[in-house]
Amino acid sequence: MAEIVLETKGLTKYYGAQPALDHLDLRIPRGCICGFLGRNGAGKTTAIKMMLGLLEPTAGSASLLGCDSTDLTPAIRQRIGYVTEGHRLFRWMTIARLEKFQQAFFPEQWDEKFFADMIEYFELSKKQKIKHLSNGQRAQVSLALALAPNPELLIMDDPTLGLDAVIRRQFLEGMIELITRQGRTVLFSSHILADVERVADRIVVIDKGVLRADCSLEQFRASVRKVVLYFDDSVPADVELEGLLHCRRSERQLELTLVGVDEAEVAAWAKRAGTERYDFVEMNLEDQFIEFTAPPHRRRLFQWEEARP
Amino acid sequence: MRFVALLRKELRESLPWLLLAGLLLLAVGTLALRAHVPNTGVRYWQYRRGMAPGETIDTWRLLSPAKLDLPALWLSFIAPGLGLVLGVRHFWVPLFTRTWAFLLHRSVSRLTILGAKLGAMVLAFVLSVGIIWTGLYWYACRPGLFPIAEPVYVLVNGWFYIVMGMVVYLGTALSALSTTRWYTSRIFGLVFALLATLMLLSLWRPVWLLAMTALVLAMLLAQTTSAFLSREF
Repeated sequence: MAEIVLETKGLTKYYGAQPALDHLDLRIPRGCICGFLGRNGAGKTTAIKMMLGLLEPTAGSASLLGCDSTDLTPAIRQRIGYVTEGHRLFRWMTIARLEKFQQAFFPEQWDEKFFADMIEYFELSKKQKIKHLSNGQRAQVSLALALAPNPELLIMDDPTLGLDAVIRRQFLEGMIELITRQGRTVLFSSHILADVERVADRIVVIDKGVLRADCSLEQFRASVRKVVLYFDDSVPADVELEGLLHCRRSERQLELTLVGVDEAEVAAWAKRAGTERYDFVEMNLEDQFIEFTAPPHRRRLFQWEEARP
Repeated sequence: MRFVALLRKELRESLPWLLLAGLLLLAVGTLALRAHVPNTGVRYWQYRRGMAPGETIDTWRLLSPAKLDLPALWLSFIAPGLGLVLGVRHFWVPLFTRTWAFLLHRSVSRLTILGAKLGAMVLAFVLSVGIIWTGLYWYACRPGLFPIAEPVYVLVNGWFYIVMGMVVYLGTALSALSTTRWYTSRIFGLVFALLATLMLLSLWRPVWLLAMTALVLAMLLAQTTSAFLSREF
């Protein structure tokens, strides 16, 4: 069994009476590329900051590389790379000065050539000041700074936030560069599903501070499904299917979003409801994520009206 | 090496303010001494040579040891002002620029990070106003320039103002690190430091002054350290 490099047990954070994270249980093994998904305000940054000991948990615990997060030693921190949300770096420094600053904390493990190659790959100059860089360029510098010391565990908080498609692609390719180095573990939070789809082999979904899914990407893709049922008469009032996420009705159609329900169960329920006509609709990961995390019973604000004769 | 990297970063970030404070004190000190040389120093030598008929001289002024009074007055504002600016630069600005997370995830303890900030503050005071103040005093005591050398208490007074600057720095740091809900309670650290400074300025017995200064510094240092080690960022 692979070594667990990141573990949380009932990790909880309250701000006043408001829960930001509620009993998060995670076990990330070595070599795993884990996409940490959630909508804005879901609790991703809070969870990451608690893992890194920047926030104190209200309850529960987190451990990184076998060390409790509230007591991370400098030696353990040296083995963890961290890309902060928004790529906040010291604005007055040049890239070269920032490299020197960062290098001081990783004297033995700093890969000078790798850093130079990444800076060249991103078409940056070491003479450039951080304050003169765009959002995307700062993200690239952040990634290079985090990767150059060869971290065993890389934690990135929404690294592609605010980046355009081209820069995002470059950034992800840089990340893949790390992934190809054996034994590296990556946890990165995002709400851009295409990014996750490209690199992650496991996803963790949190919503309003609660863990909603922790599985492989394939498992998630196979679990969340949408089915449209057609009725000759009016649609049934109740849907008795376990795993029902959303239900949308029109006059003779019922659109169901289901999680963990197989086709036989749907067929059996459809028969009981008085129809045998139904179709499974193809969903991409983004649709699945939206359906999975959107609050139930959303009111439809605008309804398409058929043109009247 | 890590501590030095942190120290250099903090000093570099404060450099413009250090230069401003140092140059301001140097300018005021130079002007004050230049004004005293013709008024006091030159006239003293004229007096020794013998006065011309009808010429008068203010002998009290001649013998006054107050050549550094004006720079000392300026220093009593410059040092706490520098303390305030450094405190804001070291503890408040990272909150606004959100660089605390990047800084705290260094392979050093939080205590080392705080130590680097405090070390940079002490160095900043010594390198900017401390050296210049001592230099001005040394210049004013040069033999042959003035009839009476500046007494040592003038030098000590200046350094006392510099220590007051450090008190204000710690008060600002404490306010920046405060996480209480209301802004009025957040600025408690700064208000305490300012009131303590006023209280210390009103003391005149050296023993009391030393004891109370040490007490105020120790209280602020303990509170700042505790707040920094336990604060969430």
